[in-house]
Amino acid sequence: MAKEAVMNSKVETAASREEGLRFDFVKAAPLVGVVSLLLVIASLLVLAVKGLNYGIDFAGGTEIQLRFAQEVDPQQVRDALEEIGLKNATVQAFGNQSEYLIRLDTPAGETEKETNELITANVNKIKDTFKSKFGLTDDGVLRVDTVGPAVGSELRTQGFLATFYSLLIMLIYVGMRFDYKYAPGAVLSLVHDVILTLGVFSLLGREFNIQIMAAILTLIGYSLNDTIVTFDRIRETLPQYKGSKPLAWIINKAINDMLSRTILTGFTTLVAVLALYFLAGGVIADIAFTLIVGVIVGTWSSIYVAAPMVLLFEKYKQWKGAH
Amino acid sequence: MIESLRARWAIIIAVFALAVIWTVPNFVDVEKIWWPTKARMILGLDIQGGSHLVLRVDVDSAVKQESARMAAQLPSELKEERIDVKEVTVVDPLRGHLKIEMQKPDDRAAIEKALDKYYGYTVQVSNVSGSTMEVEYSELYLREFKTRLVEQAIAVIRNRIDEFGVAEPSITAQGSDRILVQLPGIKDAEAAKDLINRTARLDFMIVLQNMSQQQLIDMVEEAEKTHGIKLGELKYSQYVDKINEVLKDKLPANSVVYFEKPENAASMEVARLPYLLSTVEAVSGDKLTSAQVSTGERGEPVVTFAFDAVGARLFAELTRKHTGQYMAIVLDKVVKSAPVIQTPITGGRGQITLGRGDMQQMMNEAKVIATALRAGSLPAALEQLEERTVGPSLGADAIRQGEIASIVSAILVFVFMVFYYKGFGIVANLALAFTILITVAVLSSLGATLTLPGIAGLALTLGMAVDANIIIYERVKEELAKGASMMAAIHEGYDRAFSAILDSNLTSIAVCIVLMYFGTGPVKGFAVTLTAGLLTSLFTSVFFTRAIFDLVVGKWKWNLAVK
Repeated sequence: MAKEAVMNSKVETAASREEGLRFDFVKAAPLVGVVSLLLVIASLLVLAVKGLNYGIDFAGGTEIQLRFAQEVDPQQVRDALEEIGLKNATVQAFGNQSEYLIRLDTPAGETEKETNELITANVNKIKDTFKSKFGLTDDGVLRVDTVGPAVGSELRTQGFLATFYSLLIMLIYVGMRFDYKYAPGAVLSLVHDVILTLGVFSLLGREFNIQIMAAILTLIGYSLNDTIVTFDRIRETLPQYKGSKPLAWIINKAINDMLSRTILTGFTTLVAVLALYFLAGGVIADIAFTLIVGVIVGTWSSIYVAAPMVLLFEKYKQWKGAH
Repeated sequence: MIESLRARWAIIIAVFALAVIWTVPNFVDVEKIWWPTKARMILGLDIQGGSHLVLRVDVDSAVKQESARMAAQLPSELKEERIDVKEVTVVDPLRGHLKIEMQKPDDRAAIEKALDKYYGYTVQVSNVSGSTMEVEYSELYLREFKTRLVEQAIAVIRNRIDEFGVAEPSITAQGSDRILVQLPGIKDAEAAKDLINRTARLDFMIVLQNMSQQQLIDMVEEAEKTHGIKLGELKYSQYVDKINEVLKDKLPANSVVYFEKPENAASMEVARLPYLLSTVEAVSGDKLTSAQVSTGERGEPVVTFAFDAVGARLFAELTRKHTGQYMAIVLDKVVKSAPVIQTPITGGRGQITLGRGDMQQMMNEAKVIATALRAGSLPAALEQLEERTVGPSLGADAIRQGEIASIVSAILVFVFMVFYYKGFGIVANLALAFTILITVAVLSSLGATLTLPGIAGLALTLGMAVDANIIIYERVKEELAKGASMMAAIHEGYDRAFSAILDSNLTSIAVCIVLMYFGTGPVKGFAVTLTAGLLTSLFTSVFFTRAIFDLVVGKWKWNLAVK
């Protein structure tokens, strides 16, 4: 009996809801699509000109995080480093200038082996000098990370490959579970998200390290989830109106039906990552920052990039069939 | 879908019980009480603090050495079989590729037979033309040889770390020639590293008197100048190798130059003393039974050692033959001391003096040498590719901050869900809490390592679990707006939302599998937690919450509000 009621109500609402569409997303899509495209181009330009500020995970090098018992003037730290011949070290003070992050580039040795020797020598030099000059204790050495040049470039390749194959798998999965015409939209929207996020990182000069890569993978997951949910709704709406309504209308209806869900999920996630960003420090805050960018970009792209792409692909097919 | 509500709740209760059983060992010390499982999550070094080293075993050099040894031995082995060859030369030392110049082409069959006798499957003939025959290591043997080297190196490192007393070290092979060493919570990472990197090769070599020390010094200085070899820029072992390569023709056959550091010199670079040593009149220290730190005549730390029976006999022969001469005690190509052999040493015991210096430093040095000697020497040189050391205090800070932030953000989500979805929100929150519990249980049962990226994966899981609930509830609201009854709306909501939830979870899992395959360390950790979380959230947000609604709304007829 209950089922019957549902069936009846569906017939009713289909008609009554026609004018109830809150926004015409598809109509705005070409315009917004151009904006998205421009943003992608801008991001690519920034990436080409400024590049990413690779952390030592990808660039190789050494990072030392120290905590002194008292405050030390950053200039003194720089001078001390210069004295032992480490002029190019980057010095970054935290909070009250008792904590420091020192980053050294990979020294140029003749062979990989020599390079690694030089790195170890530099770290020891810094420790010894700071111990005698600023009373650094062993406990004060919070973290020492050294990544050899070989490992750095390897991690870069691996990250790239992982992202590439992830996208490929999605292309196949979406093509199989939905329809091949959905797949390009899903992948393009993800590529869009990744490029924009990397663009923001490049623009702000934020360090790009392995944790950030994990965060970008997270945002791929999040944005994919968003896209699939929208696609699922389109898939469901399609047979109900097939023949009676144009595809653009159907897509628009699906996006509108999912709008409250999209906003609610986006909002909830944003609240959670904002809390992480403001309350946690260090790595977690960095990951949270990436996710803040990702949630905004990801929500945007699943409405404006992924779904309209389905339409665009369909139109292309018709055009190609006509020619 | 299982129709019987009773059966569904039985499954839920069973899962809950199992989850609790697996989660408890993370919070309670189960060593003291009886508990079905002891497996728990391991905290990653980025959280717990500790050292993470990636080392490469120099397999190529070892293969080269092996090739050279084979090229040197082959003529005499063939002679044993009554075959004379003109010459054996190394073509490609990385594959054991040798060229054998035969006396006459007819020797071919006999040589092949001899090769089979001495080398078996390890060597195969790759080419024969006229009176030259080319052989090389078989692929299988090369692979085995390399794997064995890495395994041996791991065994030696484990021995040394065990001697050092680190709790729960993890030493594993990575790829074809790498070793990943993880030392949780170790304070003096430097000392551990020093210990790992020691080659610890001990040799007793007779000092040759063909050249005076001054002659040697002049030769070394000239070699340094003409070839631009500087000790300050090279590792000592590399420096020694280069010097010997340059001087090869000027030195007597079967001899090498090694250096001693004088007692008052601060570093190896200052006033080193060269010794001309025989490589033949020598005994290697790989036949030791014990090595320990004790005190010398002046109360300084020394390392005493004892040979096994074979070593003791060889050592006795050497000292008998060369009584009255100098014998150098050489550790890793550094001459530690060169005493005169007063009388033949037959007991198989000896000691290494360390020179003079800071007492504490000498004590540490003695400990490292003794430990390395006891644990055995490395089969090949190690090269450090990556090192990460997190001090314990940084790890603690990260945990505290992360905990507070996670709790606050979880509370915000919980409050929002109740605020927005009322009674349904409470059900969603129960599902979220259950998701966390099961995911922790699954990770514990696998003994997985929880790293910061892993926590990011967990956060994404929760995000997707929240989303699944939102999708369902929005659908329920839609159906209610169409005028459906509560129970009908709930059923419709779940049935309609299922495909979206399933597809988004499955796509993410497919991506995770790619990441597990390609990623190392951090990326892998992320993928493992996310997979565990996604599978769990499929269960909690679809199966578990629906069972609650069926029970509470369907059976008990509670009036649960959705908004």
